[in-house]
Amino acid sequence: MTTVVIAPMLVVLVTAVLTLLFGSYPRLRTGLALAGTAGYALAVALLAWTVVLAPGAPGIATYQVGGHPAPFGITLVADGLSAFMLAMVATVGLASAIFSTRYVHNIGYDRRTFYNPLFHVLLLGVTGAFLTGDLFNLFVWFEVMLMASYVFVAYYGGPQHTRAAFRYVALNLVASAVFLLAVGGLYATTGTLNMADLAQRLADPAAYGIDPVPVVGLFGLLLSVFALKAGLVPFQFWIPSAYRAAPPPITALLAGATKKVGIYAIIRLSFTVFAGADVPISLSVPGTDLGIAGASPLAFVGPVLFAMAAASIVVGGVGAIGRPSIEGVFAYSSIGQVGFIALPVALAAAATSEQFRRLAVLAALVYALNHALAKALLFLAAGAVRSATGTIAFDDLGGLAERAPALSIAVFVGSLALVGMPPLSGFFGKFLVFEAAIRAEAGGALVVLLAGSLLTIAYATRVWNRGFWGAPSTAVTDARMDRVQVAAVVALAAGVLAVGIGFDPVYEFAEVAAEAALDAEGYAEAVDPGGEAA
Amino acid sequence: MSPEPVVVFAAVSLPFVAALLMPLAFRLLGERTGYLAAGVSFLCFALLATQHGAEGVVSLAWIPSLGISLRFAVDGWAVLFALVASGMGVLVSIYSPAYLHGESGLARYYAALVAFLGSILGVALAADLIALFVFWELTSLCSFVLIGFHTEDDSSRYAARMSMLVTVGGGLFMLAGFLLLAQAAGDPASFDLAAMLAEPGPVRDSLREAGLFVPALALIAVGATTKSAQVPVHFWLPSAMAAPTPVSAFLHSATMVKVGVYLLGRLRPLLESPEWSLLFSALGLATMLVCAMLAVASTDVKELLAYSTASHLGLMVAGFGFASGYGAEAGVFHLLNHALFKAALFLIAGIVAHEAGTRELAELGGLRHELPFTAAITAVVALSMAGIPPFSGFYSKELLFNATVEAAGQIPGAIGWLYPAVAVLASVFTVLYSVRFLALFFGSRPDGLGHVTRPAPILLVSPAILGALTAVISVSPGIAIETVVRPAVDATVTEPREMPHVIPTSYSTAVGMSALAIGLGLAAYPFYGRFHRGIGGLSAAIPPVAATWWYDAAIDGLERAGRGLAARVQNGLLRTYATWTLGATCAIALAGFAAAGALSGTMVELEASIPIALVAAVAVVAAIAVVRSPSHVVGVLTLSIVGFMLAIVYILASAPDLALTQLVVETLVLLVFLLVIEEIPESAELPVPKFSEMALGRVGRDAVLSLAVGATAFVTVLVTTDARPEGASEIARYYAEQAVPEGGGTNIVNVVLVDFRAFDTMGELVVVAVAAISVLTLLVMRGRGEDA
Repeated sequence: MTTVVIAPMLVVLVTAVLTLLFGSYPRLRTGLALAGTAGYALAVALLAWTVVLAPGAPGIATYQVGGHPAPFGITLVADGLSAFMLAMVATVGLASAIFSTRYVHNIGYDRRTFYNPLFHVLLLGVTGAFLTGDLFNLFVWFEVMLMASYVFVAYYGGPQHTRAAFRYVALNLVASAVFLLAVGGLYATTGTLNMADLAQRLADPAAYGIDPVPVVGLFGLLLSVFALKAGLVPFQFWIPSAYRAAPPPITALLAGATKKVGIYAIIRLSFTVFAGADVPISLSVPGTDLGIAGASPLAFVGPVLFAMAAASIVVGGVGAIGRPSIEGVFAYSSIGQVGFIALPVALAAAATSEQFRRLAVLAALVYALNHALAKALLFLAAGAVRSATGTIAFDDLGGLAERAPALSIAVFVGSLALVGMPPLSGFFGKFLVFEAAIRAEAGGALVVLLAGSLLTIAYATRVWNRGFWGAPSTAVTDARMDRVQVAAVVALAAGVLAVGIGFDPVYEFAEVAAEAALDAEGYAEAVDPGGEAA
Repeated sequence: MSPEPVVVFAAVSLPFVAALLMPLAFRLLGERTGYLAAGVSFLCFALLATQHGAEGVVSLAWIPSLGISLRFAVDGWAVLFALVASGMGVLVSIYSPAYLHGESGLARYYAALVAFLGSILGVALAADLIALFVFWELTSLCSFVLIGFHTEDDSSRYAARMSMLVTVGGGLFMLAGFLLLAQAAGDPASFDLAAMLAEPGPVRDSLREAGLFVPALALIAVGATTKSAQVPVHFWLPSAMAAPTPVSAFLHSATMVKVGVYLLGRLRPLLESPEWSLLFSALGLATMLVCAMLAVASTDVKELLAYSTASHLGLMVAGFGFASGYGAEAGVFHLLNHALFKAALFLIAGIVAHEAGTRELAELGGLRHELPFTAAITAVVALSMAGIPPFSGFYSKELLFNATVEAAGQIPGAIGWLYPAVAVLASVFTVLYSVRFLALFFGSRPDGLGHVTRPAPILLVSPAILGALTAVISVSPGIAIETVVRPAVDATVTEPREMPHVIPTSYSTAVGMSALAIGLGLAAYPFYGRFHRGIGGLSAAIPPVAATWWYDAAIDGLERAGRGLAARVQNGLLRTYATWTLGATCAIALAGFAAAGALSGTMVELEASIPIALVAAVAVVAAIAVVRSPSHVVGVLTLSIVGFMLAIVYILASAPDLALTQLVVETLVLLVFLLVIEEIPESAELPVPKFSEMALGRVGRDAVLSLAVGATAFVTVLVTTDARPEGASEIARYYAEQAVPEGGGTNIVNVVLVDFRAFDTMGELVVVAVAAISVLTLLVMRGRGEDA
């Protein structure tokens, strides 16, 4: 039963090693990579079904690595939230892997460039981050994920790729240092790294003889680290150049999966770990009525995250409008869209009602799912356009709708999902986020959301007008679309549509995930830190 | 009679199924696909006609968890609008094949056309706010695709994008308004519009109590007025004329733009209030006037009709705005009349453009000789548009005049009389441009006009049917009123009343207003040229008067802002990025410490031994020297002093294994650095900075940032070590006790690394392996990847 928790990680780790071993046999390697990703998706599905979705499923399962009891060893925890995120990543990962089988030829791939092993190491890092129940272990999986993505950003080896990678590495090294500082501080303050243990200790500090006051500042440090991973303003700087530099199937994964790790970490730590912390908050701007106050660190997280989310929506939206290439638009769009995801999280943190928190976290999760599917679709489509025409600059494109109708319809669907058109997945994201803003009576949030939505329409229609309508350019007229690439993109478009039309089960899954995120007690009970074993 | 669920669902879903099959059908039928579309539309029309007189709700669960259903309600108003839409679908589909003969992209055209029909039927029948929104946005989407039909044409793409931004964007505002309504209707939110309309009181009270009535009204108004092209967003409608003419007739005069009006009629019983009246009557009348004037300034036939459409939509909006029964009657009846005469006019404009080869008003005239049959139809529908008795438009306009008079009487003082005055003035301009349109056929023939061919007979079928229907209503309005208008009005008012006779039998103020408008209009017609140039000149002289100016300025401004953002914020300089990243991190962390009160209680106690103090002092001096170092080599060497001092601190703090690790790392890093620096070209050497040469701002910024980072790290360590409980933690005790029995090792750190927390170590090993791989990859890929 509990082995299923670690199964997805084992599958990708083994695949990474095998593709490394059989690197000299291209067919075998490609087959292994694809089979490995399919196996990963299966393992995730099995995990989601047995732990969360099956009738009578426990809802949460743990795996104590090495058999050491929590909090002394490292605990892996799969609950609704982890399962939801993993399912999202598995879907995007599978599409990206299928696309990759046809893309890697174009980029001078051979065994020495290790595309396949790195792909799976990236998945390994993401999966580990979603499953771990230990703060330092989270840091480790962040590093694994980052290390693989560093290589991918620099992959093509040109000057702009190197520049992008340099910035990416530099900023992430800063974040890693800050992460370590915060983890060290938390260990010093609370005497534990296990997240369940941490939650219990913070909720009742007197019983454990600890002074939890510093954890708010430490969580502030963590928040900036996660915001950098998620690409929230003012930590968004690395995104545009890194997304443009990486190979498109990887960018799909970066936008669809690694970005979500940042969001996941914010949700997990905010609601499962720090929500119950008994630390009163009070901060006011001298000389004014402005200020924040509350009974837990979340009162501090709410406004900070809100400011970052609102700024992201504006910066990403405005930045996307003037970009000269498809990938440029969608890279900036990712900054804006992650703002839409973070905004309800901020509202949830600022609120105290459990019911509202569930709604708002659910809204964020549904929006995240939509963004993962739609943005992966769009980046893959940009890759397909690039491999068919050799360019993604608007000046050299036009008339793709006529030359590549299937791909174009998929892009249309993906763009509309970003806008939030019904009946696509994006509609329910927008719908729930709007509802969260309205329930919170946050007029300011609603204004930002509406303005951001208008910006989304503006850049989505611009992509369409410049790239897909108009007179076909010579590059487009001579283009030959790759069927497999187009199939991967169309499959994601079908997913976007299916999630929208058959939203009910998705909603139920997301609701379970949101409940799991808020259920600190259930989490602690399952992990059982310092239980009978101790 | 209650509605038949199967029939209702079939009528809404049939067009969508047909849309999916259109590409296939086009392969089989070619251009005759249009007649298939006509057949589908007719089937919908027939299905809906069977529901005439029915009243009730049918529903199908869609998302039970959120309480969202595909809920459809049938009543007089829904049936009227649905019949108008499907009937128009038939006529436009019959007209299209001949009109679009030889064009490419027809499969897409017909698919979008029938999908649009399905969406509009969905809007007409929806009784669930979310279902309504879904169909509402789908109409905008189909409109986008159809406006952009000529995809290679710049103005088509421009107009398509504009309409999408305005109508879809407006729709999102409406969604927010709907959510407010739904929240007021119950907890959890209820989207059942039929239930809200059945009992509007509680919803209204709950909105009022929460102070959300006006916001909800405003948000919904944004949705309705953007769709129905009301001032100040009327500009998208004339641009949308880039679409093929049948589309203009169908979407942009008869149905899609009326969706906003339709919604007002639908929600009127729920939201009718003083705010409602003020907002919509003022907005509607303003639109009626402004757009009628702009129609007079138009130079293009379709532009004239587009502004005229917006103006007439203003009339309907104003009608639904007025609280009186007259208002609702004006809105409903004019919706029907306008759909008939304006669609006919558009189709006629299409014939004119098709046969004469131009749409410029100045180049056209006297067409009655070549196009006698068309001219006859035009006479009926254009006079109806002008509101000349006894044509249909006259009756519905009379109802509006009555409504304005009644409203004026209820407002104390002279200001209320603005309502009738504006309505009359707008009607004067309406008469003007209607006569101008007639002049296309009955005026003199310009010299430049070449040979005009006879239209294909099939092109005349649809306008002839519309003209005949207009004539029937003109002759005996009672039939239309009894069969479709009155049942529709009943659904849009709270207290149904007997509808007054629309054929005036004695003098009233409204009759006088009509006479005044027609008289003034006809008297002013000889000076048409002056009005035309005067209004046109105004918007040319003062660009902000033209509404597209605002749109263009906003889009340009955003594009410029986007480029500026990329150039200034995302400027590619790591210095900028690091400043923001570090600055924000420090700010958030310090604010966090401050918010929890971690800073106030901390006392800094210096109890360092002399050796530690000495080592620390050396480290500080070295750190300052790093900043001042004249070359990379010196800088790295100086930096390593800091590292080695740290190692000594570990030794002094009795942590020999840490110190050892630190020494190894420090030595290795130093060596690697030196090897790499060897490769850096001379030119990249740092010049020795002199304070006098450095920009003070930058130095100040860097200094402040450095201090902030240092302070943050310092504070973090200080408060966390201060808060640390005395004695060994539980975990530390466990490791010490269990290292030998569990891990079989006496070195606790080793056991932790390879046993208790071996999973971390495995992850780090992956990192090391990937680091090695990355070096290989970078070396291999260097200079051979694609240059894109």
